Amino acid sequence: MPTSTRAHFDKALQRLHESVLQLGSRARRAVANGLAALTDGDAELAREVIATDVEINRLRYDIEFECYSLLATEQPVAGDMRTIVAALTVVGDLERIADHGKKVARTYLRLLTDPRPMDLGEIPTLGALSLSMLDRALAAFATHDVATAEAVCRSDDQADAQYKRTFNAIVAAMVEDPQRISAGTHLLQIAHELERVADRATNVAERVIYTVTGELIELNI
Amino acid sequence: MALPSLAIPHRDAGDTNGVYAIEARDLNVYYGNFRAVKDINLKVHRRQITAFIGPSGCGKSTLLRAFNRMNELIPNARASGKVLFQGQNIYDPRVDPVEVRRRIGMVFQKPNPFPKSIYENVAWGARINGYLGNMDALVEQSLRRAALWDEVKDKLHQSGLSLSGGQQQRLCIARAIAVRPEIILMDEPASALDPIATLKIEELMRELSEEYTIIIVTHNMQQAARVSDFTAFLLMDEDRAGVLVEYGPTRQIFTRPKDKRTEDYITGRFG
Repeated sequence: MPTSTRAHFDKALQRLHESVLQLGSRARRAVANGLAALTDGDAELAREVIATDVEINRLRYDIEFECYSLLATEQPVAGDMRTIVAALTVVGDLERIADHGKKVARTYLRLLTDPRPMDLGEIPTLGALSLSMLDRALAAFATHDVATAEAVCRSDDQADAQYKRTFNAIVAAMVEDPQRISAGTHLLQIAHELERVADRATNVAERVIYTVTGELIELNI
Repeated sequence: MALPSLAIPHRDAGDTNGVYAIEARDLNVYYGNFRAVKDINLKVHRRQITAFIGPSGCGKSTLLRAFNRMNELIPNARASGKVLFQGQNIYDPRVDPVEVRRRIGMVFQKPNPFPKSIYENVAWGARINGYLGNMDALVEQSLRRAALWDEVKDKLHQSGLSLSGGQQQRLCIARAIAVRPEIILMDEPASALDPIATLKIEELMRELSEEYTIIIVTHNMQQAARVSDFTAFLLMDEDRAGVLVEYGPTRQIFTRPKDKRTEDYITGRFG
């Protein structure tokens, strides 16, 4: 017996929510494994990250199609509408987060061919910070937790500062030893990817706030 | 279950393969010399909800009624072509139309309970079909399936007409399913109801589609979008006969229709 006048739609929204979280988990794994490949020197893991990206992209498009179908067939308004349109933008960010993980993995494989390797310096710290922000953004999304989402947005300043430190350290090392410019440039690229993960985690958090409150705010300034 | 023996064998036969519940093949329906629907070919998916949409007069209700030979109750109406149900043409002269209508039930636009008790409304169809099982259990089960039991269990012997419009329509659905049909045809089942009662009927249809094949005619395109799995769009051709323009999964029809006429209609640019 139906328990709600829109039980079927409620179930579809619940499935959508779970699918977004599943994509979030896969994107998180791509970044974590890309970073682990770099820090542990695991080329096999890097290749795995690159290979699985196509599945993540597929999942994103499946969720996107689900959102379009729900918009076209269920006439959502208010909270239902916000849930669906927020999911649409969140899946875009999550899929790009996975791309950043893939680029970390790919850049690491390029670094392997470099005759003058370089210390990773502050990169693991930046990576840990970005992953922590992503974890908290996904937790906020899972539980519709505005306070956690706002805290994620506030953390972005820390990520920016950490990125600046990482960037400056790499540039200083390159200035000190121009032989390392090639490796250093790759590390700058990796640092940039990780900083973008933090930015996109902030975007996810902003959409949590929108879903719950209806407020469209830019907290990642 | 002690229903009389069936003119149509219980089987999945012909090209239905269990995927389709009923199929119109080169179906035409005429009222006198007027052809109301023209050359319809349509396979209805089993245990799914299929919606017929289209502007007034496009033949969607006529097509719906052709699926259980209900048009024959209209003077001068006749059909050509076939409607295959479990591999058998329901228009075959050897087929009993009453049996067709038991296996393929119907719910109408306006709730039409009999002026009898709630209990008798549900029991009636089974009784005239010679049902010899536990009638109380059948009534309860049918009312439960129609999501009405909790609202009426303490007043089963009150008149069906004492219920609200939405409850009356669910009573009619309970009456339809009490005779254990395989397909339920619904002709604008919620158009006489308020929005909440409408959503209850839609939700009930979703529940029922786990066990029954449902075909619904609706003027309300949003309702077709919300409730159905497949959508058929009909339009009048130059002879004013209803033709099938496009038929496909509802999500495809409402996100990426193939025919421009479908797109124009569902986006409100028809006319």
